[in-house]
Amino acid sequence: MRQEQFVARYQAEWQALEHWLAQRGERPRQARRQAAPDGVDDADFPQRYRRLCQQLALARRRGYSPQLVARLQQLMQQGHTLLYRTPRPQWRRALAFLFADFPQLVRSQARSMWVAAALFVVPLVGSFALILWRPELIHLLMDNARIAEFERMYDPASPNLGRDSGTNWTMFGYYIMNNISIGLRTFAFGLIAGVGTVLVMLFNGVGIGSVAGHLQHIGHGDPFWRFVAGHGAFELTAIVIAGGAGLQLGMKLLAPGRRRRIDALVEGGVIGAKLCVGVAAMLLIAAFIEAFWSSIAAIPAWGKYSVAAVLWTTVIVWLWRGGRGAVDAD
Amino acid sequence: MLDTYREVITPEGVPLHLPVAGPLPRALAWAIDFVIRVGSLMMLSIPLAFLGGFGQGLYLGLMFLLMWAYTIVQEACWGRTLGKRAMGLRVVASDGGPIGWMSAITRNLLRTVDMLPFGYALGLLSSLFDAHGRRLGDLVAGTVVIHQSAPPVGGTVPVGSVLAPPQPLQPAEQAAVVDFAERAPRLSVPRQQELADIASPLTESHGQVGVLRLYAMANWLLGRR
Repeated sequence: MRQEQFVARYQAEWQALEHWLAQRGERPRQARRQAAPDGVDDADFPQRYRRLCQQLALARRRGYSPQLVARLQQLMQQGHTLLYRTPRPQWRRALAFLFADFPQLVRSQARSMWVAAALFVVPLVGSFALILWRPELIHLLMDNARIAEFERMYDPASPNLGRDSGTNWTMFGYYIMNNISIGLRTFAFGLIAGVGTVLVMLFNGVGIGSVAGHLQHIGHGDPFWRFVAGHGAFELTAIVIAGGAGLQLGMKLLAPGRRRRIDALVEGGVIGAKLCVGVAAMLLIAAFIEAFWSSIAAIPAWGKYSVAAVLWTTVIVWLWRGGRGAVDAD
Repeated sequence: MLDTYREVITPEGVPLHLPVAGPLPRALAWAIDFVIRVGSLMMLSIPLAFLGGFGQGLYLGLMFLLMWAYTIVQEACWGRTLGKRAMGLRVVASDGGPIGWMSAITRNLLRTVDMLPFGYALGLLSSLFDAHGRRLGDLVAGTVVIHQSAPPVGGTVPVGSVLAPPQPLQPAEQAAVVDFAERAPRLSVPRQQELADIASPLTESHGQVGVLRLYAMANWLLGRR
């Protein structure tokens, strides 16, 4: 068949499809409420799209003009984008993810998680003990202005714990901005063969441990522990999980196994993205607790510690039991 | 083909041509996004300053959203940010389909690494070495940034005399003759003749005669008898 006859035969079909795509393509959800544009029924689209694919293949094979091929190609590309669109996210699915899939995913990466926890906890405890043993070493780790700032933040006489100034809302925003960004970056740095994540975990461990040791030493230990006990349940575990996510990505680069490196990395990227969604949610909860509960200095120690115990138990049970026995949805 | 097309075979068995975007348009798109983000944050900071501590918190929360969620949400929902829209770019999965939420999250979180050690240097290196111009985040997320192809410019072969080619032509040669005839009316006359002279072994003539003979052969090939 010559090109002219080919075009004459299918022109009407293509125009109908072009018209339908123009109406339906960009705004599928709004468009669904309106009646279907004349010519093409929504349910007919996959069939029409496949006909178009066949016509495009024919046009290529028969060596029709590049312009005609380009036109069909573009039509097909639009159809492809529409047909293989990802499903819209559902709220029920998001809840199922948080309560079941996320803990499952964390457990499936247990090795990376335990390594990340060790990289964080060992320097934390180590530097805490070191500062208690040789208190002057704190000056090696941070300058005087920073030390003074921490001392002010956890002054037992201060009406608010853990902050210099700022209202609850300001600090809520600050914690969201600062802590979630740190968590997400901890994951991302894992791409540098895991080295970035290891460094971030070590620095965080040493930083927190040495500050805790210093405050304990100068007698500001009580407000400090009362402040961190509650939100630490979510914040510290979230940082460890972000670290684990980064380490598994780094390991995918170093030891891809029986796959191409790029395929292993793509798989690690999906796992990491899912973990990061959970990490962000955990850090959001932590930021809320930190801003509105941890900062209240008036609550006595037993109140703070019993709430902290409940929070820690919740997190541990959630991560340990969450999604156990559930059927895999995917 | 000497071009930056990425060819993907769809489930329907037809090749999809993805015109891959290079670092320059992507950097410009990023710059536009940057201006939008910083601009909107500065605009919003004025009314928020009147709200005191709550406004300050909201400002920081917004800063977080603009920093991380701005690109993720737009790319997951529409496949492009405002800057990419302005530059005619789109992010697609490496199989040509739309990207999902997970890919959008991965590729945008890993910007952190692409920015190292300064000004997207790693990302630039990666996109220069990769055949499809992907930065590290694209590689891990399995995505590629393409040019949103503009609708092809229509052109028709002038109707005129019909002449069968003196010898059978291969499909690619046929396509070249028809393509010339479709595009030539938009070229200057000397350029038409220059191009037609390349095909002089086929037309057995030079200059304007060659052009007209190619038109006639295109008409024959299109099936106008």
